[in-house]
Amino acid sequence: MNDGDEKQPGRDGADPARRDLLKTLGIGGVGAGLAAVVGGPAVLFVTYPLDHDTVSGGDGFLPVGRSDQFADGVPVKVDVLADRRDAWNRVVQVKVGSAWVLRDGGVLRAYSTVCPHLGCAVDIDDEAHKFKCPCHRSAFTFAGAVEGGPSPRGMDSLEVQETGGLVALRYQRFRQGVAAKEVI
Amino acid sequence: MKALLDWLDERAGIRHLWSELADERIPGGARVRYVFGSVLVFLFLQQVVLGILLATYYSPSATDAWASTAYLNDRVTMGWFLRGLHHHGSSAMVVVTVLHFLQTAIAGAYRRPRELNWLSGLAMGGLVLAFALTGYLLPWDQKGYWATQVATGIMGSVPGGEPLRLLLQGGKEYGNLTLTRFYVLHVFVLPLALFALLGGHLALFRRHGVTPPELPKEELERRADRFFPSQLLLDVLAMAVMSAVLVGLTVSTHGAELYAPAQPASSFVARPEWYFLFLFQLLKFFDGPLQIIATVILPGAAATFLVALPFVDRAPTRSPRARLPLLGGVALLMGGVATLTAMALVEDSKNEKYQAGLEAAHAEATRARELAAAGVLPAGGDAVFENDPQVAARRLFQEHCATCHTLQGAPGGAEAPTFVAWRSRAWYRDLIRNARDPRFFGGAKGHDTMEPYPPEELSDERLTAVVEYLVSLTGAEGGTVDAALVETGRKLFADDLECNNCHEVKPGESADGPNLAGNGSRAWVERVIRDSAAPDLFGKSAGMPKFGKKLSDPDIAALADLITAQRPAAAK
Repeated sequence: MNDGDEKQPGRDGADPARRDLLKTLGIGGVGAGLAAVVGGPAVLFVTYPLDHDTVSGGDGFLPVGRSDQFADGVPVKVDVLADRRDAWNRVVQVKVGSAWVLRDGGVLRAYSTVCPHLGCAVDIDDEAHKFKCPCHRSAFTFAGAVEGGPSPRGMDSLEVQETGGLVALRYQRFRQGVAAKEVI
Repeated sequence: MKALLDWLDERAGIRHLWSELADERIPGGARVRYVFGSVLVFLFLQQVVLGILLATYYSPSATDAWASTAYLNDRVTMGWFLRGLHHHGSSAMVVVTVLHFLQTAIAGAYRRPRELNWLSGLAMGGLVLAFALTGYLLPWDQKGYWATQVATGIMGSVPGGEPLRLLLQGGKEYGNLTLTRFYVLHVFVLPLALFALLGGHLALFRRHGVTPPELPKEELERRADRFFPSQLLLDVLAMAVMSAVLVGLTVSTHGAELYAPAQPASSFVARPEWYFLFLFQLLKFFDGPLQIIATVILPGAAATFLVALPFVDRAPTRSPRARLPLLGGVALLMGGVATLTAMALVEDSKNEKYQAGLEAAHAEATRARELAAAGVLPAGGDAVFENDPQVAARRLFQEHCATCHTLQGAPGGAEAPTFVAWRSRAWYRDLIRNARDPRFFGGAKGHDTMEPYPPEELSDERLTAVVEYLVSLTGAEGGTVDAALVETGRKLFADDLECNNCHEVKPGESADGPNLAGNGSRAWVERVIRDSAAPDLFGKSAGMPKFGKKLSDPDIAALADLITAQRPAAAK
């Protein structure tokens, strides 16, 4: 910006330093515009997962069996299957979890098989008439209450529905190792 | 601010670096014709950024590539725009590379001491084409798949090319490895190679400077300017024009086209992208053993000429006049490429078969992309068609109906009427001529009450009228009918032939045979599926199970859609 006046005498009398400044501003302005052409859409593109469900499915009531499969006081382990979406894929009937389902005085109850303590799969002890966790020996009544072992709360009950001879439940996962039942 | 700059300068020498970049002397001053190189650098960097963005959603596997491309293009916000810019950007790179090449050739900028600038430039031009070729396959759609097949096919046909082809495509056939290899070339190998060559090209350029116009030295000195800001401003303005063109193209075409998923078993009208059309056209002239002329000899001769250009140019000055024969060679080359490209385009525009194939391909692409909205099964891009309700309905048909009924493309039993050419006028004619034919009720128990009507009893002319009347009873779904013929048919039906002894035509009324009001309409078909033994349908003689209690409403609706879709568009 020093010898500009020798090379390009300002025909309109403009100060060469001022002209260079204008050119620099022009370069900056146009350059910023060029960057924005891609940069603006890029932000929307990359942040798309923040306000869209990219992985979804399995949050409603899912059928797990016919009504006559579940007798009073006899827990039956069922697999919960759901159709899932994972970005561009559609996956049909994948296992999202398991549940113990039984009738208790005619009322249908369902418990997640995930132990509230540390997440092992709770099993059944038919002879003792109890649910038992094989990992840390937490034991639960068929009503889901803790009867021994380290579990901080009873078995996590799941919402269950019976319509038209079919049993359906809403499968959810809960925070482990705490006394309160919190959906995660 | 100044303190920060001082701090940085002391450690990184940024002021020296900046003055190295900015104060490059340009003898003769800034010029528009120097912008092409800068525009190419801009385009390349933009392609890199766009490519990285696309890679955040793209998955290079034969099962995922198409579905992920459809997802990023049709679902993700602004995906169509960014992919469109990347797509058109590759065309722009080819165009600007050619412009840069022509300006360099015309200005004689390849001459001593700039031979290496020229050679590295040619190599980069080759890389630009390699980028285009490898990128084209990545969406794994019909066009990319088949266009690339042509290219690798050519590669395999040249002497010694077959092992190279197998290596490139990772096996004898296209598959996952073809995609991963093309992906690695497109996003790692080629960019690294281009960056390296570009670095060398720019270093050489800085060493020798621009090739100024042929003016006296003092004049060049008098007009000399620095790169910054004069030339850079011109460069940036040229980039802005380029960017505007790209955005305009992208918006007007609504991004890059995505064809239907690659189907190796289909016969797609394969065409390379426009910048390879000249080679494609050249191949048409050289068949069989002569093919090598188009694939190796002519391209090889052109490449040799370009590489040799700086070494054979012995003209005393850089003036284009002094170099006419060489520039003539360049003109011949470019003219040949342009002519071949134009010929290919003109031939295709006149080729009705190609145009029809293209139209079908567009329709299939639209359908596939609509179906992809529901997600694609993990089996792969082509599995998108499993989302088609017709596919699901066909599966239902196979399971519940095919034991007795036959559908076009799904041979089944002959215990009940066929749905092949169902409800065409010919179908009606054949049915009336002999309802006891195995195509109709011949295989169904208890449906033998309707007597055959041979031509002696019912002339073709009268039959045509009765059929027209039956079609008119279908309602709007039956299509247009000949009113006069319908009237004749109605009289025959009611009076001469006494069809109404067994068939009612007033909705709801029942007789020995099915009521024909609305026969063949979608609602009628749905009723038959639910309960064909309804008194106004087939009554007690019906042998078909009542699907109203076996299938869900959506399934019955899907089946009714499938069956009514069997009616020929222009029922004859």
